Amino acid sequence: MLKCTINGKEVEVKEGTTIIEAYKEMQEDIAHYCWHPGLSIAGVCRLCVVEIEGNPRLQIACNTEVRDGMVISNVSDKVEEAVRWGLDFHLINHPLDCPICDQAGECGLQEQYMKYGQYDSSMAENKVKKRKVVDLGPKIVLDAERCILCSRCVRFTEEISKTNELGIFNRGDHSMIGTVKDKPLDNDYSVNTVDICPVGALTSKDFRFQQRVWYLENTATTCPGCSTGCSVSVYHNKEGAYRVKPREDKENNGYWMCDEGRNVYKFVNKEARLLSAKTLNSGKLSSVRLAQALEDFTSFNREGKKVGVLLTGQNTTEEYKAILEMFAGADFFHWKNNEEKFNDFDGLLKRGDKNPNTNGLIETISNLKDAKSFNASNYDLTVAVMPENFLVYEDYNEKLESLKASKNLLLFSAAKLPKMELKTENTWVFPLKTFVEKEGSYLNHAKTERRIQKATSIVTEAVALNEFAAAVSRGLKININHHESRKQNEFTNIPGQY
Amino acid sequence: MSELIKADDVEFIKKEMVRYEDKYSAIIPSLYKIQARHGWVSEDSVEELSKVMEIPSADILEVRNFYTMFNQKPVGKLHIQVCTNVSCAMNGGRELTDHICKKYNVKKGEVSSDGTVTVNQVECLGSCDTAPMMQINDKYWENLTNESAVEIIEKLRS
Repeated sequence: MLKCTINGKEVEVKEGTTIIEAYKEMQEDIAHYCWHPGLSIAGVCRLCVVEIEGNPRLQIACNTEVRDGMVISNVSDKVEEAVRWGLDFHLINHPLDCPICDQAGECGLQEQYMKYGQYDSSMAENKVKKRKVVDLGPKIVLDAERCILCSRCVRFTEEISKTNELGIFNRGDHSMIGTVKDKPLDNDYSVNTVDICPVGALTSKDFRFQQRVWYLENTATTCPGCSTGCSVSVYHNKEGAYRVKPREDKENNGYWMCDEGRNVYKFVNKEARLLSAKTLNSGKLSSVRLAQALEDFTSFNREGKKVGVLLTGQNTTEEYKAILEMFAGADFFHWKNNEEKFNDFDGLLKRGDKNPNTNGLIETISNLKDAKSFNASNYDLTVAVMPENFLVYEDYNEKLESLKASKNLLLFSAAKLPKMELKTENTWVFPLKTFVEKEGSYLNHAKTERRIQKATSIVTEAVALNEFAAAVSRGLKININHHESRKQNEFTNIPGQY
Repeated sequence: MSELIKADDVEFIKKEMVRYEDKYSAIIPSLYKIQARHGWVSEDSVEELSKVMEIPSADILEVRNFYTMFNQKPVGKLHIQVCTNVSCAMNGGRELTDHICKKYNVKKGEVSSDGTVTVNQVECLGSCDTAPMMQINDKYWENLTNESAVEIIEKLRS
């Protein structure tokens, strides 16, 4: 056995042990890249250098054997200096792209950099420290060090929202974005400042750290949040939608959208959705394949039956046309959520009518009745189309409850349904597509046509009303236009067809 | 009208507002007025002024924070600003600052415990030919030595 001293501690090691092995045995930190216990010694990275007392030059620990009485250190100033320069050489051609590198967090080079790296810039002056992770308002986080003082956000609150919360305070390199007395930046359009921030100074609480943007696709469409119908882009991947941003549209919404509209992606994702069709099976609703439910409904004889149809302003005009044709002669009811606010307008973009297509519904179906007079028990068949943005319908649950009085119920819903006990003869429930899963048009407050585009398929079993009508009228032999990457759907899997 | 801006100050501010082409030009004279009254300009005063002038408080705060002559926190009865720019520095301006701080047991920018003195080290006050010099409230004192400076301050304190 050999006695030696490592970083001031005395140890005994077996003859033939290298210095690096002794360090490992003691669980002392020592940097090494080329050395590996299972491989031969290369001695090329030069980062495991140690100082040995009595030896004027530093030695590499991996290729030096311990001798009796050696006094070894890798924490001396001389070693640190050498390691710092060694690291510098390793980094000459290294991209230092740790933020997007997959090894980040378990990378030896990164760890070494954290210890010995050059944190200060080459400028003679020190960097000015500013406020970070500032809770600027309920929807926004500020990092003042990232800010380049372009003043876009300040001018936005002056010129567009006209709320004047933001300012650039202090002077020169101490200049900083902020609000008076740190009052929260909280207006109906505040997240636009995040969109126009050219750097990472202002970030959205809702979106930050949710997804890397290069993993998201975006689709140009229309916001279904109110009757303005702002042009927007929905950002999505195959898991669902993550955010909505305004898209330039000079005639309609300029470059902006309201903060409320940014929430419209929240009801389209799987966790909020009805995922499969259901039919009534001995008093209980149970999931069936879409084709099965369609077949089941088609076999129901609608001849001579009295039909009541309940609709909201949340579907496309194409869907209304199809449903009008399918149930010609039925009574159509218009379910309005907040009629007294329908004409409200904040002067910029937000309107009180939280439906994108109230005008489309009114123009398509001429003799609409008010849903207040709707009574499900008056009809042999009740057709109810639940609103996709159910959050803006205060009487949503009430209405759902009232459908229990139906004799036969055909129910469409994009949203997950609560447990329902039904005493109807027949019930068919179909999952409905949301605005990101279909094409079509809305007629906005000014009766201008606003197009929506299919972004992705989130619920593969979901149908649009016009697709449903077409499928029923053609006896199921319809190829419903699903997303291209999702060819395997129910409609190519109909029993008896191959 | 309010605690922070007295009625005759409001009258002054209103006059200033119509004196210039743009009412924003009246921000600086108005801030001076408030500072003359309180010795400094608080954020609360800025908010009051915003109501009087009908200018967003962020815009007024930008002005207050830009100019160093507006005090962002309370100062003592004597606000001593010692110049430490080239001429004054060469003639002992920095040492003079430290001497006064030590004499009144106060740190730069803070108010002495008896509330009489605040010492600040400042950039050029445009009196280079009489270096070193200091400004106490709005008056210049020039060609100073450590002793003469303290003598002046002592006289003003009593």
